[in-house]
Amino acid sequence: MIVARGLGRLVTTAIAVGAGIVILAHVFATQTEGELFGIIGLKQTITAAGTYLVRLTIIIGAFALLLGFVNVVTVHWTQIRSKNPASVYSIVLLVSLLLSLVFGLGGPATGGTQFIFNFILQPLEATFFALLALFIASAAFRAFRVRSFESILFVAFAGVVLLGQVPISIYLWPELPVIKDWILNVPTLAGVRGILLGVALGTIATGLRIISGMDRPYTD
Amino acid sequence: MTLNILGIAALFLLVFIGLMLYFTRQAIFGNTPILRQIQAYETLKGLTSRAIEAGRGLHLSVGLGSITNATTADTLAGLSVLSYLAKQAAATGAPPTVSMADPTTMLMAQHLIRSSYGDAADGLEQAYQNVRWVASQPAAYAAGVMNIIEISQPEANVLVGNFGDEYLLMGEAAARQGSSHIGGTSIPNTLPFVYASAGQTLLGEEIYAAGAYLQKRPAHLGSLVAQDTMRSVIAWGIGLGVLIATLS
Repeated sequence: MIVARGLGRLVTTAIAVGAGIVILAHVFATQTEGELFGIIGLKQTITAAGTYLVRLTIIIGAFALLLGFVNVVTVHWTQIRSKNPASVYSIVLLVSLLLSLVFGLGGPATGGTQFIFNFILQPLEATFFALLALFIASAAFRAFRVRSFESILFVAFAGVVLLGQVPISIYLWPELPVIKDWILNVPTLAGVRGILLGVALGTIATGLRIISGMDRPYTD
Repeated sequence: MTLNILGIAALFLLVFIGLMLYFTRQAIFGNTPILRQIQAYETLKGLTSRAIEAGRGLHLSVGLGSITNATTADTLAGLSVLSYLAKQAAATGAPPTVSMADPTTMLMAQHLIRSSYGDAADGLEQAYQNVRWVASQPAAYAAGVMNIIEISQPEANVLVGNFGDEYLLMGEAAARQGSSHIGGTSIPNTLPFVYASAGQTLLGEEIYAAGAYLQKRPAHLGSLVAQDTMRSVIAWGIGLGVLIATLS
């Protein structure tokens, strides 16, 4: 059992490392003009292998979607069987899921599917995101409280930018829009670039840990 | 892209991985770096015990990301937090409810919970009952997570991963519930929503440090130091470039 588990870990790590190296080489190969290192056929081989692996992820994603469907049905069926008051939402969800599946079997261009997307899904999504305006006001009411030096800066800068955005601000103080633009284009942009630099390095580190086999979240 | 830029990129990666291997080796032999305190991780360490004392569960959401595209790093960051909470759950019997928007992430989450239980039969049951794929579309995902938060009333909500504007909807639902809320993402446009709604925040690259802060994994500690080193190199390089451009 232990030997089998160890062998399993070795195989999965080898697959992950090998696939990672091929995909990384694929990125470099597709950007290179001419043959790689002067070896005829190497660029074509790496490109083909990388493209094949990328296509595999699409197939894996499709199977994962099937398993996700099973997960949704299982979780909500368990909720319904538990007979708690919230199970009515689970009933609505499962009925909607079944109806969408039945209508969707004909394909995305059929009348039923189009009706569901155009008259149910899209209006609901638009309504939901329209709530963001109210939620922003609620979050701002809670966040705009002076508790520390950070929050003083937060409130001050947010106030200047908010006032600078409205057309009437030029009548309050003609320099306000100029200050607003400076805040957005200089310190904010500098901060965002710093964050993006850190995020880029973190992303590269995460990828290199997986490719080198140092980190193996896919094994026991 | 010219060969020069590709060559620089390849050199950058080789230097980076060399540094990671070196600092990981240092961490393995006990020479661990001193990490600055991140309050969100300190709070995370005590969440499971707080949940058990309160008799309520925990909720973790790893966002819109999957493990098959550019959002993989953010998703793995959220899954690192799940790995920590899952190990504590196996010891205490209080697994978190995990929600996500991508089914491939669901598979990873189920694997992490199952493997934290080892060979115990409980693991499979907990993995299937507590991991919930909500929906792939942001609005539907946010609605599902808000439903989970409002119905299950968790002791704490941890939202770490790849999020968009829908974060505000989920964050406000968590804040209205009055429970602890830890939020983190690397998307700059979402960071203001995280800052405004979460009690404790992980901003930008801080989400990638979960493995180092929570589980002290040598590979994660080593890569943190490597990241800091490369950041210093890039910062000095930018400064030098600005100086040269100014003087010339």
